[in-house]
Amino acid sequence: MKNKLSYSYYPGCSLHASAREYDESTRGLFKALRIGLVEVPDWLCCGATPAHNVDELLSLSLCAKNLELASGVEGDLAVACAACFSRLKTTQHTLAANDDKRQQVAYALDGPLAIGKSVKHLLEILAKDLGLEQLSAAVQKPLSGLKVACYYGCLLTRPPDVPQLDCTEAPTIMERVIAAAGAETVTWSHRLECCGANFTLSRPGVVLKLSGDILASAKRAGADCLMVACPLCHGNLDIRQQEIEAASGERYAMPVFYMTQLLALAAGVAPGKLGFDSMITNPVPLLKEKHLL
Amino acid sequence: MKQTKMTLSQTTMNLDFVKRVEHLSGSSVRRCFQCGKCSAGCPMRSFMEHPPNRIVRLLQLGQFERVLAGRSIWYCASCETCTTRCPNKVDLAAIMDALRKLSWDADGPSKESYVQLANRLFIENIRSYGRQYEMRLAAVFNMKSGQFLKDFMLGPKLLTKGKLKMFHRKNRNLPEIEKIFSRIEELRSKDRD
Repeated sequence: MKNKLSYSYYPGCSLHASAREYDESTRGLFKALRIGLVEVPDWLCCGATPAHNVDELLSLSLCAKNLELASGVEGDLAVACAACFSRLKTTQHTLAANDDKRQQVAYALDGPLAIGKSVKHLLEILAKDLGLEQLSAAVQKPLSGLKVACYYGCLLTRPPDVPQLDCTEAPTIMERVIAAAGAETVTWSHRLECCGANFTLSRPGVVLKLSGDILASAKRAGADCLMVACPLCHGNLDIRQQEIEAASGERYAMPVFYMTQLLALAAGVAPGKLGFDSMITNPVPLLKEKHLL
Repeated sequence: MKQTKMTLSQTTMNLDFVKRVEHLSGSSVRRCFQCGKCSAGCPMRSFMEHPPNRIVRLLQLGQFERVLAGRSIWYCASCETCTTRCPNKVDLAAIMDALRKLSWDADGPSKESYVQLANRLFIENIRSYGRQYEMRLAAVFNMKSGQFLKDFMLGPKLLTKGKLKMFHRKNRNLPEIEKIFSRIEELRSKDRD
């Protein structure tokens, strides 16, 4: 069966470095699902939080430029990083509603705007475009017995008008997607709380507190692991986990997976191609215990 | 808040500032009726001297110096919880962006220097390279903030995990980026005149 789905792809800066396993597993998963994925050549940083924090016009202009670059590649724009996704959608939303800002951005870009590309997070592509039935049908190794705490963080669902991925305060899209691959999901309190985001650079103490609370909540709920869809959330929960353990005196040893790593594993992609070796909290013992490796 | 007493008069209240914030953010400041939902859900409130609802109240009372002088606006994580939950459609996350921009453009007197330094370096990286290079960002941040040993143990670990990129290819859209930055600067200087 040949799937006709095909997308242009905006990985974002992290997926070329600290989140390389998110990029690798996304490519692996899409290939296994026979969904086309073509990276936008020479894309630029979306500006992320620092740009919109102090200079909205810069943030809007960088995203508008990226949307223009993406218009040169066929297919809706697939975005993996929750922050890039949020910035690109915010730009479309803001510029559709505000003539002044649209004119300023057109001046900054020195030309007419081409920002109409449909922007989709990977979750949306899997749950809606492909559909859960098809996703389920592609599963070769069900994630049976794996208890997953799905962590949304901030920008996949907030603010209500922008991402429009799912319900803002009670989303289920991540749970539905991973359940389609046979995993069990836990009910827990902190799935929509902030991880501390980019304070990881300037004020890491903030991250130790907020991400510590998230890990504690997932552990209380009996989760084996966390599943995320954002490289910054991943960095805070995985890379800083040992530091969080040292600061709080709690022991978590909780693997933090990108959703595409788990889905690709279920879809039969070779584990060696999923970047498990680049995670700081080693997921191999858990995956072996569940007979997934 | 240490100074709870404030004298309100035409000379101590700056309502023009509120109008600028409302214009920049596209959100009403005046519509807030102090229910406190924003602060109840704010993950960063314990790090702020003024929780979000008090920031709005101070703005309504024209006390912008108090708002800009503290570190609160720089401790907002842009998580959008306040905006999502406000019953009066006050877009507090956008108001925070507007406050930071006004403070940033005026080279304001905030106490919070680390967050601002991180922002500055992040934006400079975009202008120079077109993309973010995390290792460079962290190294320069540590150097400029004088915390040479911050995350000292993390660097080698990330390198062996292949999470830090040592080399990068030149982005072909760099001239476009430079043009965007300089045209925005041009717009800003026109704005000031």
